[in-house]
Amino acid sequence: MSHRETYENKEIGLIDILDTVLDKGVAIKGDIIISIAGIDLVYLDLRVLISAVETLVQSNMDSQKLSSERFDQEKEELTYATERS
Amino acid sequence: MSQLFYLYGIISSSNDQKNLFSSYQGIDKKHELEVKEYGELSAVFCYVDEEEFGEEVLEEKTNQMEWVQEKAFHHHEMLIKLRENATIIPMKFCTIYKTEQNLQSMIDSYHQQMKDLLQQLEGKEEWNLKIYCDRDKLTENVGDHNLNIKKKKEEIAQLSKGRQYLESRKLDQYIQQEVEKEQEQFSSKIHDQLTEYSVDDTVKKNWNRDVTGRDEEMCWNSAYLVPIEKVESFLALVTEAKKTHQEAGWIFEATGPWPAYHFAKL
Repeated sequence: MSHRETYENKEIGLIDILDTVLDKGVAIKGDIIISIAGIDLVYLDLRVLISAVETLVQSNMDSQKLSSERFDQEKEELTYATERS
Repeated sequence: MSQLFYLYGIISSSNDQKNLFSSYQGIDKKHELEVKEYGELSAVFCYVDEEEFGEEVLEEKTNQMEWVQEKAFHHHEMLIKLRENATIIPMKFCTIYKTEQNLQSMIDSYHQQMKDLLQQLEGKEEWNLKIYCDRDKLTENVGDHNLNIKKKKEEIAQLSKGRQYLESRKLDQYIQQEVEKEQEQFSSKIHDQLTEYSVDDTVKKNWNRDVTGRDEEMCWNSAYLVPIEKVESFLALVTEAKKTHQEAGWIFEATGPWPAYHFAKL
């Protein structure tokens, strides 16, 4: 079996897909009429990523209680990450 | 009812493309994908209704996580399929044009850049790599193999109880710093080896555990643009590294081939 066959078509995590299709790929500012693909995208990214994280955190830590403090910290980190990219 | 253009990507025009994608179902599950020629470039898109994809509706829809997940997944799936058949400049999720004129004028003004970009992407694939590590295992390893740490541990053993406590805490901090250094050094060494096979690469931010939902810590997150003929060697290196470093708690995850999301910049 080739190495390619080992790796290709492997299941890709949703967060991976979201991170990529919302953040990467070509978007041309100004030319696109719908605003979410233009200037507002950073805002959308952040919102979507935060809710994605929220969902993930909830499903991953079913039994564990998540302190709001910790969650705020996550949010801050995400905000930082998104602003940086 | 007004129709908008949901654009998936831009490909080079060719004779047989018309029927290539026509049977694919579009993002709204109503329209099929279409290819429209604009000289040497062609746009792969599907019509969507303003009622569903108009600006205001979209504003609302993007607040619904389920909708975003489903549609983003479709966008990704479709680009994977398109990529298998043609070199493509992938557009961002929800790149929508109100009129064909807008789409055409965008293509007109970026004509040369898009042609150049398609040429650069031709015959290459994007592969992504994430390296994770078992932090406890690594901490143990670093503690066992770092001479500085060994020496300090011996010194601490000679101290009084009170000072031992204080110095141990300091040492713990130092060990954690060394662990992070080791993560960085280990990963960038692998990265350097991989870039031998790639023509372009990008290092992304690591995600923390709540994002990945894993016990292991992410220590590297990167993307590579690899010429097709080098993909086997590239992946062989990943497999080799995976086997060699498994014992020490390193986990490698390569995914691909992706549409060249990280390298399609205009």
